Parts: sequence; C-alpha cells; structure tokens
Amino acid sequence: MSYCVNCGVELDKTCAVCPLCNTKVCNPNEETDHVSPPPFPVRRGYTEPVQRGDITILLSVVLAVTAVVCGLLNFFVFSSNAWSLYVIGGCVLLWIFCLPVFFAKVNVYASIVLDGIGIALYFGMIAWRHPGNGWYMALALPLTGLAAAMILLFVAGIRRIRLSILSSSVLVLGEAAVFMVAVELLIRSFRQLPPGITWSAVVLTCCVIIDAALLTVIRRSRLREEVRRRMHI
Amino acid sequence: MERTTNPRKLWYKLDLSAIVYPTLQRRNFSSVYRISVLLKENIVPGLLQKAVDLTLPRFPTFKVTMKKGVFWRYLEPNNRPGPFVEPDIVNPCMPMSFKSKNRYLIRIYYYQKRISLEVFHSLADGSGALCLLKTLTAVYLRLKGYEIPNGHGVLDIDAKPEPEELEDAYMRYASSRVRPHRSKAKTYRIRGTWEPFYTLNIITGILSVNQVLTVTKRYQVTVTEYLNAALLYALMLKQKDDRVFRELPVSLAMPVNLRRFFPSGTLRNFITMVYPSIDPRMGDYTFEEILVQVHYYMRYYLNDKFLNADITTNVAVTKNPLIRVVPLFIKDIVVRQFYKRIQDKQSSAGLTNLGVVDVPEEMKRYVDRFDVLMGQPFSARTNCAVVSYGDVLTVSFASSIVEAEVERQFFRKLVQDGIHVKIETNRNMEGSLCRTV
Repeated sequence: MSYCVNCGVELDKTCAVCPLCNTKVCNPNEETDHVSPPPFPVRRGYTEPVQRGDITILLSVVLAVTAVVCGLLNFFVFSSNAWSLYVIGGCVLLWIFCLPVFFAKVNVYASIVLDGIGIALYFGMIAWRHPGNGWYMALALPLTGLAAAMILLFVAGIRRIRLSILSSSVLVLGEAAVFMVAVELLIRSFRQLPPGITWSAVVLTCCVIIDAALLTVIRRSRLREEVRRRMHI
Repeated sequence: MERTTNPRKLWYKLDLSAIVYPTLQRRNFSSVYRISVLLKENIVPGLLQKAVDLTLPRFPTFKVTMKKGVFWRYLEPNNRPGPFVEPDIVNPCMPMSFKSKNRYLIRIYYYQKRISLEVFHSLADGSGALCLLKTLTAVYLRLKGYEIPNGHGVLDIDAKPEPEELEDAYMRYASSRVRPHRSKAKTYRIRGTWEPFYTLNIITGILSVNQVLTVTKRYQVTVTEYLNAALLYALMLKQKDDRVFRELPVSLAMPVNLRRFFPSGTLRNFITMVYPSIDPRMGDYTFEEILVQVHYYMRYYLNDKFLNADITTNVAVTKNPLIRVVPLFIKDIVVRQFYKRIQDKQSSAGLTNLGVVDVPEEMKRYVDRFDVLMGQPFSARTNCAVVSYGDVLTVSFASSIVEAEVERQFFRKLVQDGIHVKIETNRNMEGSLCRTV
C-alpha cells in the first residue's frame, strides 16, 4: 500500500498521484497497479436528448393547416381581398418564435435575430399590401431593428456578464429610455418635423432618476444589503 | 399523499421538500444523489435486472414519473418498461431529464461488486432510498441463492405498501404556533474552476468507525459533530488561503432526518436543513473552538420544538391560498431565483450523514460497505456525504470544480487526529477527468 508523503492518506493501489495534492506516488516496493480494475469505472455517461419531436410536429401541423385552410378559404370563398396573407404570415412568424421550443440547440442570439427578421418581413408584407407614405422604411424597419438589438444586448448582459436583478433593472430602464427617444425622433423625422424630443423627454427623465437611484443602491453595499433584506421574497 | 384508491388514477402530490428540486432543474443540473452497496462478489447484471423488476412494485413512490399541473407538479405511476440496469459510469449523478429513460426518476448501475442507485430527490430522501437499495440487494442475493430474511430495512416485496410509507409526513407534524423568521447572512463561497459539463469529481475517504469513535470520545462529541467541525475547519483555512477582500461566515448545509424526532415510516422526503456555522470575522478559531461551537449548535437546534417550527414555516408557504393559486411557471421563476440568490448562498458546503446502516444478520457476510454521494452541487462548491456500515465509515466528496483544497484540508485534519484514511477517486481515470495529473 502507498501513502501520500504530503497528506498522509493511504492511496488506492491504482492511484498514480494523490488526488488531494497532486503529489506523485513513488513507492519502490509497490508500483502503481495498472492491471486491477480502478474503484470507479472509466465509461462516461451522457444524458439522453429530450424528445421534442411530438410538440414540434403538433405545432407545425396546426400552424401549417391553419395557413393552408385560410389560404384555400381566401381563394375559393371569401376572395374579395388577400386577407389570408396576414394569417399565413402570422403562422410563419409564430413558427419562427417557437424555434427554441422545437430545437434545444438553437442559439438564443440567432433566435432573436431570426425573430427580428421575421417581424420585419411581416411588416414588409403589410407595407407591400398597403403601399403608402414610406412608413415601413422610415418607422417599422428601424424600430424593429432597434428593439431586436436591445433585446440582444439585454440577453447578452444576463447570460455573459450575469447581471444581478438591480443591474438588469438599470439596463432595462436605460434601454427603455433610449427606445422611447428613438421612437419620438423617428416619428418626427417621418412627419418631417425638426428633430427634438418632447414626451420622450418625460420618459427619459423618469428612467434617468430611477437608474441613478438604482446605481446608488448598487454602489453602496450597506444600502444594497438593506434593499435586499427588505425586498427579499 | 395518495389521492385516490383507484389504481389507474393514482397520483401523488410532491412533498414539501420535493417541490423545490424540479424548479432547479436545468440542462446541466438535476438534484440527483447516489447510494451504493459494495458486495463481496461481482454483480450479475441479469439477476440484478430481475431483482429490480421484482422489487420496484413494492415501492410505488419510486416507480413514478414527474408531471406538470397548472399550479403544482405531481408524481404519476409509471408503467413503462424499466428502469433498466446499466454498467456504471465515471460521472455519476448526471442530469436526469424527466422525459428520457422512459420517464423514470431513478437509475440503477452496476460495476464490479457495486450496485448503485441514483434517485431524483423529489422521490425520496436518503433514508427512503436506502430502504429501496437494501431491499433490492436482499432480493438480488436471494436470486443468487442465499437465504436473506426481511427486517432491518429490508421490506417484504410480497406485502402491500403501508399507507404510512407513502405519506407526506411534513403535513402530519407541522403544528408549531410560531414560525421563526429566517434571516441568513451571505456565507463564504469557494472559489474554484468549473469542470466541463459531464464531470463530477469524487474523492472518497474510507475510515475505521472504531478509530473515529476513539477520536470523538477524546473530544467528547458525536461523529457528525466531529466531521462537521473538520469540514468547517477546512473551509475556514481555504477562505484564509483565498486571501478574500472581506471575510464571510463559513456555514454548512446539513440535512436532518426528521424521523428521529417525529416517528414516521415514510419512504419519501422527511428532512429539514440546519446550518452549523462559524464567523471568522470575530477572530480566528482553533479546531477545538469550532467543535464546541458545532456541539452546542446541534444541542440547541436539534430538538422537536425547533424542527417543528422550521417545517411549519415551510408548510405555511405551501398552504397559503394566495401562493397556491399562482400558476406553476411563475412559482418556478420565483423559487429558482429565491434558491439561487438566497438559499444557495446560505452555505459554503453541504454535509449529510446517513448514519449507521443496518442489514439483517444473514446479509452482513455478503456486504462489504455502503457509499453515499450527495450529487452535483448547484454552485461551485463541494458536497460531503457520510455513511457507516460495520467498522467502515465512508466520507465521499462530490464537486464540480477542479481544485480539491477543501477535501485535502479535511482529510489532513483527520490524519492529524490519528485516523487512518484510505482514498479512492474517479479523478485521473481518463481524458479530461485527469485534471490532477
């Protein structure tokens, strides 16, 4: 039997190093046993993938049937206008939203980008059906892109930096303020008014005040503990 | 709790402890623990499978599947084929998906002379699972031709399950008129390097019960108190080595078997947690001082009054009508956040002592020892599980981090006290598990 010269514990005869301190076993009277079975097996186990096939098939069939039936209904019965395009577009959009449910390995960032593209395309279809004053390029597309970018930023903050609840709240409020300002600026630009902010300034002010309060709480550990104590669930 | 007498419509409410574990489920974590028995002969897989098929119907709360309701989860009998015995793996207690393996929430492995039972914690605590493992082992030995009687935790597989075995014992005993407030400070968290997914480092120390008892008699404490103190001491030294900016209290999460205080034959969960701790901010502790602290903590808290008040607090939450009507997905979010941000931070490590395992006299000659493994920790830390059988006491550490500093300090303390420790490990077995080489 071999003992670790560093820890003083007896080691299993199959141990080449002490698992506690990494000290190499060096026993001239008894070499490390490489023949006897070790106390633990070497086969590695893996979890079985969760079967999501049933829910994928069910939802895909329901959405596909809804789209096809509405299309047929539109073509043969209520054919005054192409209303079914909205339903079909909605079904496609829902299917894209459900991708993370269908496939476990879908990257969350890719999924958000796909959702953004899906919404932009849906708006595009509405714009194509109702060509008007350029609302799609001036409002819908930039706002959809901005919203997707902000959601991406928030998800990255949660997943990569592991933000606390307070820090996440700061980020959400900051993003909300920026989004509201962007909405107003785009609306003014769309209406060919001079750039400036009015109602979004109120939202911006509120968000800045709350963010400042939250940042103070985050930076002052005593205050943070007090809030945590009073707000704990 | 059995909800109906119609066997086709049987279902069980999750008990008080069981509610939490499914909400913590994530792709790389499940609350799974393992109890093993090491026999004196190599295992015959065919006979073991037969033993499982014969034994499991006697334990209806283990032959179940997890289902989701609108407000709560529940357990439903599982009549699918299985569970099937498998060759053992190097990374035990891996995540257990509710929908794989024919939806069983237990796994049975064999390796050389060892039978291992892995259980999702919502089904039972260590005592319940130990009862299943002992009965399974007895049935297996009977199939091998040995005469093994019932008793000492080996149940009669031909008898019907007693209603008491299936009960939610928390509901029976929670009767305190006061509910103590729980305010727990943040404790020291081990800093370590996460191992990759599918890795669980195990270090098992095999000790002589007589030697441990000699030492504990010298200190005038119990074995649990001594091991608790040794782990607190190891954690305290680790915190010092880490050179942390601000020291924090060191605390252990220790499940207490409530059957010792409230008689119940339940095979489901009936445990509560206590948190023996020291606060190094008050000054440096010697090992003897930690022992005194743990000794009096246990004396003060481990009695039916305190424990009753503790479980009553938990029961009150699940009985609150406002909480009951909250949809399950909201409860999941809230419970997960509560556990992650408060409960998990209340302890620096976990320690459980399953106690002395007793088997029928005729079975003793075929059994070498029992092992218990607390399973994968939720956060970067180490979990320690203790069980004794005959003169063999095993202390098994399970951790998902590369460093083994706490384990080293713990076992070195035992060696310093004159206890002979033999180490077995699943580290440096192959590939990426070979972190220490």
